[in-house]
Amino acid sequence: MNAYLQFKSVSKHFGRVMALREVDLSVEPGQIIALLGPNGAGKSTLFGCLLGLLRPSQGEILLNGAQIVDADRLCVGYLPERIALYPQRSAWDNGLFFTGLRGGSADELKRQLKRVGLGAVADRPVRHLSKGMLQRLGLAIALCGEPDLLVLDEPFNGLDPALLDGLQAILREENERGATLLISTHTISAITPLATHAAILLRGRLAAFGALEELSARHGGVPLETIYHQTARQAHQIEPEEICA
Amino acid sequence: MNNSESVIAPTPGCAPSEKAARTAANQSAPAVVSKARGSVSLSKQISAIALKEFNDRFRSGWVIACALVWLGAIALTSLFGLVQIGRIGVQGYERTVASLLNLVQYLVPLLALLLGHDLIVSEREERTLSLLLAGGVSRARLLFGKFLGGCLALAFPLTLGFVIAGTVIGLSAKDKAVVPFVVLALSGLMLGIVFLALGLLISALCRTRVQALVCALLTWCVAVFAFDLIAMGVVVAANSTQAAREIEMATDATHVTSIADVHKAFEGADDTATRIVAERSRNVAAWLAVNPVDLFRAVNLPGSANVAVPAWLVALSVSSWLIGTLGLAAWKLRRTDL
Repeated sequence: MNAYLQFKSVSKHFGRVMALREVDLSVEPGQIIALLGPNGAGKSTLFGCLLGLLRPSQGEILLNGAQIVDADRLCVGYLPERIALYPQRSAWDNGLFFTGLRGGSADELKRQLKRVGLGAVADRPVRHLSKGMLQRLGLAIALCGEPDLLVLDEPFNGLDPALLDGLQAILREENERGATLLISTHTISAITPLATHAAILLRGRLAAFGALEELSARHGGVPLETIYHQTARQAHQIEPEEICA
Repeated sequence: MNNSESVIAPTPGCAPSEKAARTAANQSAPAVVSKARGSVSLSKQISAIALKEFNDRFRSGWVIACALVWLGAIALTSLFGLVQIGRIGVQGYERTVASLLNLVQYLVPLLALLLGHDLIVSEREERTLSLLLAGGVSRARLLFGKFLGGCLALAFPLTLGFVIAGTVIGLSAKDKAVVPFVVLALSGLMLGIVFLALGLLISALCRTRVQALVCALLTWCVAVFAFDLIAMGVVVAANSTQAAREIEMATDATHVTSIADVHKAFEGADDTATRIVAERSRNVAAWLAVNPVDLFRAVNLPGSANVAVPAWLVALSVSSWLIGTLGLAAWKLRRTDL
């Protein structure tokens, strides 16, 4: 049977630099995948390929067994690492525009803004919002329309503990609703209570992937953070810095 | 800290569950959640992008400034168009058209290129393009929406200027022969739309706004000033005397360099345009069709100049420019990594 989302030998190079090397990854519905890796490992590139922002140099990405196309991405909610919106427009206008493009309604946006705690500042221009507020506005936009797949790039960056708890709770609710989550992060402590699976990317290659319990058992019952560090160390010893020929 | 800064509210009643339980629950979730649950109609996405583009230009004051500049230019041209021969006052439609011809052929392509050159590249520089495209908007829809929005932002001030000026001229000069003025307005709008498409292509090709602005200004210089010289140079260099003579005739006939001369043509006097046109050949029209600015001049020359360009050639030239530039822009945008 086909997986819900499948990366099949996906490679991407920028000139001579290989950003992704034959990544094979299968995601089942309802999983929460923690995508881990150091800076430059290819996490954002993988998301870029999935979201149609980058064209894979090789391989294909399948959704429900068929090559993913633009129309499929209407069911994908995306929160980029550094959200960029129209600064002169209000949070509400920005939200309405981006969710409108995906067929979302004003009521839905209102509900999501309230959910992320931005109901009171919806009419404020985006240029006057703090970084945390922008992040939450991006999350509200991503959540509109109850997407089947949520792709979140470093969502825990710069959040205080209270906001972090709130975000984790929202992500849990989304997962319980049936959404599949793909979350890239460096904050392993924040993703550990959420993730069902982890994928570790190192220099564009998928170094490890599996359910958390399975990965932990493979590494002698250690926590995810230790697994990540062990995998990174092993990969570094095996394969020094490479440049595409 | 703002109150809203600290409140992310999970939906009430949704108690956090154990991860193991969640995993188990997810195992029993439907194998396939959905495949593109619904689709947003083509027109909805395109109109949302176009309206946003127009609203942004309106809010920034571009549309109003453009309308004022345009209205002022038409008014001044109509009032002072005959100052070289000692007349001041509102002229009739036909004389206003002759006076406006130079203004439109220089100003409209410039306005259109200035509007079009940053339609894509600005979104790319400000990183909003990623969020747009990641949300299921295809690149072709984005391009078409941007183009339509640009057309609205260009057509609104131009039309406003033509309608107000046309009404004032008609009432003041008590002139009812409005056809040449309408032709000028429509062909001017079409000229603007063709150059807007060119601007959009530049915007899709360039990596930065500065790069796009330089390319847009160069394009304007080539189309408005350099094309005729280059074409003549090429033909003369190729020793085609007959063709060179034809191009010279075409450029002489279509460049309105002396307002007084053109007005003489209206008054039926023996002038250069009439003499040249008597010798023209069909090749002239073909040369004119290559450059939209030349085509615009030819379409709006007074009947006595007789530089007739067949309607099919006008349609072919305009549609080729539009399809060519937009097609190339779509191709480039589809191949662009963000």
